[in-house]
Amino acid sequence: MRDVSFRVRKGEFVFVTGPSGAGKTTLLRIMFGAEKASSGHILINGINLGRIRRKQIALLRRRIGFVFQDFKLLNNKTIFQNVALALEVTGANPSYVRKKTRQALRSLGLIKKEEAYPLQLSGGEQQRVAIARAIVKNPLILLADEPTGNLDPDLTREIMVLFRTIHMKGTTVVVATHNRELLKGTAIRKIYLEKGRVIKED
Amino acid sequence: MGKLLYFIRQALLNISQNKLIHLISLGTISIAILILGVFLLLLVNVEGWIKNWGGSITMSVYLEDNLPKRQIAVIRQALSSREGVEIQRFISKEEALIELKSALGPQSELVEGLTRNPLPASFEIAIREPKTDPASIKRELEGIPGVVEVQYSEAWIKRFRGVMRLVRVGGMMLGGLLCLGVLFIVTNTIKLTIYSRKEEIEIMKLVGATDWFVKIPFLIEGFIQGATGGLLALVSLFVFYLIMASNKGIFLSFTLLEVVFVPHFYMTAIVGLSSFLGFLGSLMAVGRFFEV
Repeated sequence: MRDVSFRVRKGEFVFVTGPSGAGKTTLLRIMFGAEKASSGHILINGINLGRIRRKQIALLRRRIGFVFQDFKLLNNKTIFQNVALALEVTGANPSYVRKKTRQALRSLGLIKKEEAYPLQLSGGEQQRVAIARAIVKNPLILLADEPTGNLDPDLTREIMVLFRTIHMKGTTVVVATHNRELLKGTAIRKIYLEKGRVIKED
Repeated sequence: MGKLLYFIRQALLNISQNKLIHLISLGTISIAILILGVFLLLLVNVEGWIKNWGGSITMSVYLEDNLPKRQIAVIRQALSSREGVEIQRFISKEEALIELKSALGPQSELVEGLTRNPLPASFEIAIREPKTDPASIKRELEGIPGVVEVQYSEAWIKRFRGVMRLVRVGGMMLGGLLCLGVLFIVTNTIKLTIYSRKEEIEIMKLVGATDWFVKIPFLIEGFIQGATGGLLALVSLFVFYLIMASNKGIFLSFTLLEVVFVPHFYMTAIVGLSSFLGFLGSLMAVGRFFEV
């Protein structure tokens, strides 16, 4: 990627869009500390990712929720355990973990499925579990990589409503998608990528 | 505290999810440590026996020729008054010659031609003092007037000590190799369990787990493996000891010797070493964690 420069304000909702291979996933991964930029500066909440130590990356990730295209759920763990994992790794005490996890599951309508395993759920439900895991730690920023890539139009709309709700509560949301349907008729800011460059913004 | 419980729970979960691998490596570790323990047990016992023998070595105290009976009595008095010395018998010049003749058997003619008896009279004494060096006792007794020389089976003791030193060095080398083996086994086992949880580790790191948070359960896992391996080896060693003690006659044909178990210090050391190796092995396995 080159010549990529943009700023997302606190509490903003932004789409990153462009054809497959444009660099959307790479961009998100760089913002998440999963990949290092060879040059340039990436500042997240005032932290320069170019000069960050490994331990700090872990701490940064606790403030960023990430929704993966392939969900990345653990199939041998229950829905509850999958969501709770994001809090457990912070070393939070078990009663807090239980309380917050239930809260997140309830807000996404998954409380009845908490004992189920990911493979017992539909694609849309699995995506909601992934979102629940991303928001359970009250992140400052929510990054979502093709969150509706595997879903039908009805479920896509449902998931988008969820993101709006999360955004309304004050979280900065960045969604990468190549789905033009998603972008139609919204006043949301869009960053267009092509071949690793920002080609336009509106 | 809550964190520690979490780590231990994760470690136990790892073990229960990879039972077979753990069982196999547990068996191998305890066998390796057991071999080490058997070696230690034998060493402890043999050293004990040597100490006992060293405490009852016999010496011959040779006297000047033609000492008057009175002076021989003085020497006898001097010897018996020394603590730890027990006079077993007095051998006169004549008795010495008779003994030599009978020892030579058919070749006894060799001494027949002697015009005078060249053999000195001597006292045969036993030393019952395990701690004193026989050489210093020898020097001390040689200071008694009328005593020409004191002899004891120095060469034999020296050779035996040499052998023991060799055994000890060999034991250390064997022990070193066994430790390396244990390290290798643990490292591989932990690597396998890490591999079996690769996906989970990746996700944990993506949701903000620090490297140490991911590593600690594996370190505990290795420690548990080493510690249980060590304990298992110790129990097996005790069984081995019981068998050895009840069959010592057949075993070593030293029916009179006492067989003892390794002292507490060594027991602690065996389990401690095993646990440490387990920990070290897993530390090597976790090394630098997957870059995610």
